[in-house]
Amino acid sequence: MARQAYPLPRDLHPAAWWAWALGLAVAASRTTNPWLLLTIVAVAGYVVVARRSDAPWALSFRLYLWLGALIVITRVVFRIVFGGAEGSTVLFTLPEIPLPEVAAGIRLLGAVSAESVLAGLYDGLRLATMVVCLGAANALANPKRLLRSMPSALYEVGAAVVVALSFFPQLSESLVRVRRARRLRGDVGKGVRALRSLVIPVLEDALDRSLQLAASMDSRGYGRAGGLDRRTRATTGTLLVAGLVGMCVGVYATLDTLTPRYLAAPMLVVGLVLAGTGFVIAGRRVQRTRYRPDHWRAAEVAVAACGLAVASVLVAVGEGASAATLVPAVVSATWPPLTWAPLLGVLIGTLPAWVSPPPRPTHVSADADRMPAGAIA
Amino acid sequence: MNVRLRRLCGALAVAALVFLPVPAAASVSSIDDDQGTPGYCTDGSGVTVVVDASALDGPVIVRCAPDGDAGSGLEALKDAGFQIEGTQRFGEGFICRIENQPSATQRLELDGDDGYRESCLDTPPTAASWSYWHADNGGSWEYSQYGASTATVPPGGFEGWAFSLNQPPGSPAAPGVAPVRPSTDPSGSRGGGTDSDSSDDDSGSDNPGGDRAKKLPPPRPRATAMPTSPTTPDAPVTGGEDQRDLDAASVSDSNPAAPIAAGAAVIVLGVLGAVAARRRRVQRSA
Repeated sequence: MARQAYPLPRDLHPAAWWAWALGLAVAASRTTNPWLLLTIVAVAGYVVVARRSDAPWALSFRLYLWLGALIVITRVVFRIVFGGAEGSTVLFTLPEIPLPEVAAGIRLLGAVSAESVLAGLYDGLRLATMVVCLGAANALANPKRLLRSMPSALYEVGAAVVVALSFFPQLSESLVRVRRARRLRGDVGKGVRALRSLVIPVLEDALDRSLQLAASMDSRGYGRAGGLDRRTRATTGTLLVAGLVGMCVGVYATLDTLTPRYLAAPMLVVGLVLAGTGFVIAGRRVQRTRYRPDHWRAAEVAVAACGLAVASVLVAVGEGASAATLVPAVVSATWPPLTWAPLLGVLIGTLPAWVSPPPRPTHVSADADRMPAGAIA
Repeated sequence: MNVRLRRLCGALAVAALVFLPVPAAASVSSIDDDQGTPGYCTDGSGVTVVVDASALDGPVIVRCAPDGDAGSGLEALKDAGFQIEGTQRFGEGFICRIENQPSATQRLELDGDDGYRESCLDTPPTAASWSYWHADNGGSWEYSQYGASTATVPPGGFEGWAFSLNQPPGSPAAPGVAPVRPSTDPSGSRGGGTDSDSSDDDSGSDNPGGDRAKKLPPPRPRATAMPTSPTTPDAPVTGGEDQRDLDAASVSDSNPAAPIAAGAAVIVLGVLGAVAARRRRVQRSA
């Protein structure tokens, strides 16, 4: 940073970024309107560019963008291959492949209509936007610090969670490292051969680093049972896992309106109670101090509130009178309509680019974060 | 990164400019008057399509797809002039709305989920979905064992679509209109306005147990020995052909400036992002 501005540069609490990104993802799950979805992607992308650090995982956003593009292309191609003749605006006609009677209901190729392509595009864009939102969270939040702020009761599963969470960011970092190393050796090969010489080192490197991280966590007492007897250990483990599963099912049922309602709120509550009990029992025996704890200050509240606001505006619009504009019918190849409320709601999501403090400059944070051990202690 | 970002921004800008919104031609009714004719078919060559939304307090509409040979049930539905919407995820493989029924804002009193609204994102629940039926002229309704896009329709026969709300799984209610063309009804008791009060007409609900259950589509084309002379005038079951067109409905709900603003926001954010990335790169290399 050339000029020192207020707020002072610091790393935001990772949970705040996750709350913001999950808010955007929930909003994206509620609509197939391409205007809104593109705006959500632009919002997430801008905040990432404005507020990401120079840490390795911050580079992973690009990978998520590519993944999103791949999702959209796949959906459109599938619509074209399996019966793309919905609607009246036929774009072009491919030779249809006749199928036996057994495969009735499946149509290969044939006429391709604009409506089918658009429907596939909207559908793919929705999933791609959710993936990009998660990518934004991964790029902005430091996965190791996120683990550090986990409740002490989760120490048992902490090592497993952090390896799972940090694998993809590690992968992107490994990709960058291996490619740089290959370039330095003068290996500029392209195509399948280059891919083969890239995939193995990248996967191995990422896995090695995840294991190294797990080992360093293990040496600091994560996942250690301590002096506990087997029964208590089994109880807390069962409570935690059952609680987490219950919460997952509950959250899924709450978001997906087709799931039976008894799976939604009741399951969520049961999961919370189980996990809470497990937390209390497990937390009682873990006594560890924290070096340099992450603080939850006004900026964190603001960032998390922005995510919550985006999600609640979209949910409210979906329940309101103009719900049809969130899921525009692709009856004919016309422009999807839009109202002001959801658009302004989505634009709230850009505020973190200004209300959050800029990230710490590289030379300070890099040393601390290079060592997986130091970052979590 | 930077070059790519700029390229991305450029692509987004071009996309936003190319796809400048054009207001859709808004017709008042969702029925396509160029397709099909109102009321029952008058001869044995067309397919009569019955759409029964009485479970939604909606209309019961009977229309005719005049050219009913060798098409699928889906084509017959469209050829009769009905406007349908498939789910976003699976397209017209799952029909979630016919004639804007149930509309996106209509609350359905589902068992276990009061206030369910059909968003057409995913497959509708069994308790609130359109069921698909066939019948020969003068026969009785049979629940289709095939999807609408694979079942072939018999010329002169009937295609039925009934919205089933809170019916037990596996036994949805048949359309509340008897599948008899008025002009061919031997007794003459059917036809006229009697069909319009279909919700009280239980002739459809005593749907066939087993008498014709083994007969499945694709139904053989009938050798139409039936009288084709239109002895009685058409008895259209109407009262519901004025549903809002889906495009018109969504356009009238929307603000024409909002999509332009969305496109502008995407471009502005893209440019801002490109500038920020560029500044960062300059700083890093300095």
